[in-house]
Amino acid sequence: MPPMLPDFSNSVKLKYVKLGYQYLVNHIITLTLVPIMLGVSIEILRLGPQEILNLWNSLHFNLVQILCSAFLIIFVATVYFMSKPRTIYLVDYACFKPPVTCRVPFATFMGHSRLILKNNPKSVEFQMRILERSGLGEETCLPPAIHYIPPKPTMEAARGEAELVIFSAMDSLFKKTGLKPKDIDILIVNCSLFSPTPSLSAMVINKYKLRSNIKSFNLSGMGCSAGLISIDLARDLLQVHPNSNAVVVSTEIITPNYYQGNERAMLLPNCLFRMGGAAILLSNRRSERRRAKYRLVHVVRTHKGADDKAYRCVFEEEDKEGKVGISLSKDLMAIAGEALKLNITTMGPLVLPASEQLLFLLTLIGRKIFNPKWKPYIPDFKQAFEHFCIHAGGRAVIDELQKNLQLSTEHVEASRMTLHRFGNTSSSSLWYELNYIESKGRMKKGDRVWQIAFGSGFKCNSAVWKCNKTIKTPIDGPWTDCIDRYPVHIPEIVKL
Amino acid sequence: MATNNDNNNIVSYICKRTVVSTKPIEPGKYMTFSVLDRCMEKNHIRMVYYYQSSSTSLGEGEFGKMTKNLKETLSEMLNYYPMVTGRLVRDSEEKWKVKCNDAGVRVVEAKAKGSVEEWLKNVDSEKEHMLVYWEDMYHKPYYWSTFYVQITEFEEGGLAIGLSCFHLLADYTSATNFLKAWSDISLGNKITVLPLFHPLPSTRKRISNHHPYFELINHYKSSIERPIPIKEEKYTIISLGFSHQMVNACISKAQFNGPSGPITMTPFEALAGLFWASISNIKGLQNGLIDMSICLDARKVLGLDYGFFGNTMIYNKVHSNGNLEGNIFVQATRYIGEVVAKMDNEGIMDLIEWLEKNEMNSPKMINGPDLICVSLENVDPYLSVFQDWLKPLRVSCYIEPVLGEGQVLILPGTPEEGPLSRVVMVTLKEDEAIKLFEDDLISQFSPTIFMKC
Repeated sequence: MPPMLPDFSNSVKLKYVKLGYQYLVNHIITLTLVPIMLGVSIEILRLGPQEILNLWNSLHFNLVQILCSAFLIIFVATVYFMSKPRTIYLVDYACFKPPVTCRVPFATFMGHSRLILKNNPKSVEFQMRILERSGLGEETCLPPAIHYIPPKPTMEAARGEAELVIFSAMDSLFKKTGLKPKDIDILIVNCSLFSPTPSLSAMVINKYKLRSNIKSFNLSGMGCSAGLISIDLARDLLQVHPNSNAVVVSTEIITPNYYQGNERAMLLPNCLFRMGGAAILLSNRRSERRRAKYRLVHVVRTHKGADDKAYRCVFEEEDKEGKVGISLSKDLMAIAGEALKLNITTMGPLVLPASEQLLFLLTLIGRKIFNPKWKPYIPDFKQAFEHFCIHAGGRAVIDELQKNLQLSTEHVEASRMTLHRFGNTSSSSLWYELNYIESKGRMKKGDRVWQIAFGSGFKCNSAVWKCNKTIKTPIDGPWTDCIDRYPVHIPEIVKL
Repeated sequence: MATNNDNNNIVSYICKRTVVSTKPIEPGKYMTFSVLDRCMEKNHIRMVYYYQSSSTSLGEGEFGKMTKNLKETLSEMLNYYPMVTGRLVRDSEEKWKVKCNDAGVRVVEAKAKGSVEEWLKNVDSEKEHMLVYWEDMYHKPYYWSTFYVQITEFEEGGLAIGLSCFHLLADYTSATNFLKAWSDISLGNKITVLPLFHPLPSTRKRISNHHPYFELINHYKSSIERPIPIKEEKYTIISLGFSHQMVNACISKAQFNGPSGPITMTPFEALAGLFWASISNIKGLQNGLIDMSICLDARKVLGLDYGFFGNTMIYNKVHSNGNLEGNIFVQATRYIGEVVAKMDNEGIMDLIEWLEKNEMNSPKMINGPDLICVSLENVDPYLSVFQDWLKPLRVSCYIEPVLGEGQVLILPGTPEEGPLSRVVMVTLKEDEAIKLFEDDLISQFSPTIFMKC
């Protein structure tokens, strides 16, 4: 078709132009250095060895000058190495695999919903519509207390779930890394909605008999992005304490938060949140250099809490009947988009290659000075990262990010498949996604991973990791028994 | 008889949940019912199995672990029964079919006071009903579970597993095999009798140049024309055990001389005849027999494996000719024997063919106002042994509702008593049941009374 052809040939030309431009800008230093080096070497060759020796002898050095210069060089080198931040290694991590007896197929979920909300068929209809479009599969798991008719969300059951999830993940981590409990120097546990006394970190210390001088922290109420907040905290602590190990446990305890009322905005989390947890071992020890899986490169945190609308968009409150639930506002997607924009504006300069940054700068200047109607240039993040782990908060979130960042289906595959197999496991979903990529054998040395998480507040946090060594399959993890069935095609609407 | 007040405190319900299979089912599967299934639409089965623990003393929390094992192995076993975890929907012709949507079975946990042995000494049918949970079909059957399992812990030792199911899906043989499959998996073994889901043998290739067996067809026809009685009678269920020797004695008493030598009855024929004669006597017929139908499992006759999952119970009327002279018991047994012989492959296939041709007009409830004697001897429920528990102490069965003269279920006895031992569960009106205990015909065989009125 005639109108199509010119576009096509144009885009091909454009592609090559783009590639050439990127190569030029990204390697500008090499490209300028090469002719200079060539020039110098030609000059040297032209001069000949005798001339060079004469040049050398004409330079008068005395002992003091040599010593001072040597000290200066050593001093500068020391200051440089001392002020360099310590490298944080992610030695390994383990994800919790829920027992098959906790599986909740759609029909069971809907059946229970119908029996519990028997006076509100409209709410049941609503839940069914959400479930049909949710992108979840038939193998997601809810904790045992929620399987009862009616659910039994007692504190004992919540503690039981916490013990099951956290201890399984920790045992798995110990096995994988050979870590001894007494070698843990820093322990950070994050669980947003369940905060008993003593804290969950105290529970871990009690179970594994950790050292008495351990630095433990328990972060609660910080939403689904708390996992990356914990990583950030661990990083800061590892800067201060040399030669230390930090264990971060990210989880969300579903039991106490199953909403039993009728308010639609609050029923949404029931349909999406599922059982899950992860335990991560971070270290700043140089000895871990060889076996660590990843190196932490950046963590960027942005908080939109100053804006009232953003603050109230994920809000835990009582409904008309006095039942507590988490209300999600209709502006959630818009606010998430804005938070993301803020985050990537900060992240961009840190990770994007020079070519993209230059383009962005030029378009920015152009928009400000020449013509505000120019389309803002969205930098191509695919050049900065090989893998993307987008928090599996819901199908809409992943769709939105895919559109905004112009990602391909393969880039968001890890997020979509994690949502299908495990549901929204809150702060630990990023780790299930990372495990998916590893299980598929796609993680090679030098690959950069971008983890993005959204959370109540409204926060958008992201972390950048660089793969330290190629990860060979098969690996032990929650995907072991089902990775061969993935990726699956997830229909828009599953007919229930 | 224990009063209601006493009963209320003995069994306390802890919780109710749904148990699903471990592997997800491929969506979009449906399973349909056969013509024999549809005859049982108004009935449901209840079964109770009693167990004693294999370890002499149970520590704290041990029972919780054992219940956990039971629920986990139930999940695994359900992988083989997609029909059981599905839900009922109506097809285009307003007939039931199962949508295999992975919804699961309901499991109820309960606690009972005392030990299982104490319970068995004093049990009656009302108490036993508390050990097996059942819910009638909801207004919206899409959310209604067709199978219910109740796990009851006896505080001083013992376990009772109650299984109830909608008769449309499964008959006694299938339900027993369901429990057997569960016990196989709990021991870590493979299922010995795998369930088979397929239609009944086809009637298409038959060359029907023989005289069809009209009596069977007529019985089914007449049950359509009969309205389903909605009696408000109070029935009671008693359970009597007959030892191996006693059943032998009963059979030899029923023996008579046929044209080609003495004819020996099967235990079912002998016991059914015994109870038919006795109950007729109690109801006031001195020299005759009341209307009676027998019910047999036709799997073997139809050439089907015992794992065939569904209904193959065939009901047939046994006619008695007015006033009878001489030994009523022997004659009753003879009549039964004759009818059983006529219920062969040809006869049953004729019935199936007729039912398939008359699908629009098929009977909804085949066990009507007669006295019904059901043979449930084809499967041995005592083979269902669970991990941590010994062989079942006792097995009870109820086919409900009973809306006629009464019902006699003949089940196998415990293996220790011998292969011919039988347990007979009789449903009668209260006053008639009391008279049954005093009847000479029955007491001459000194049955053990397992369950009083």
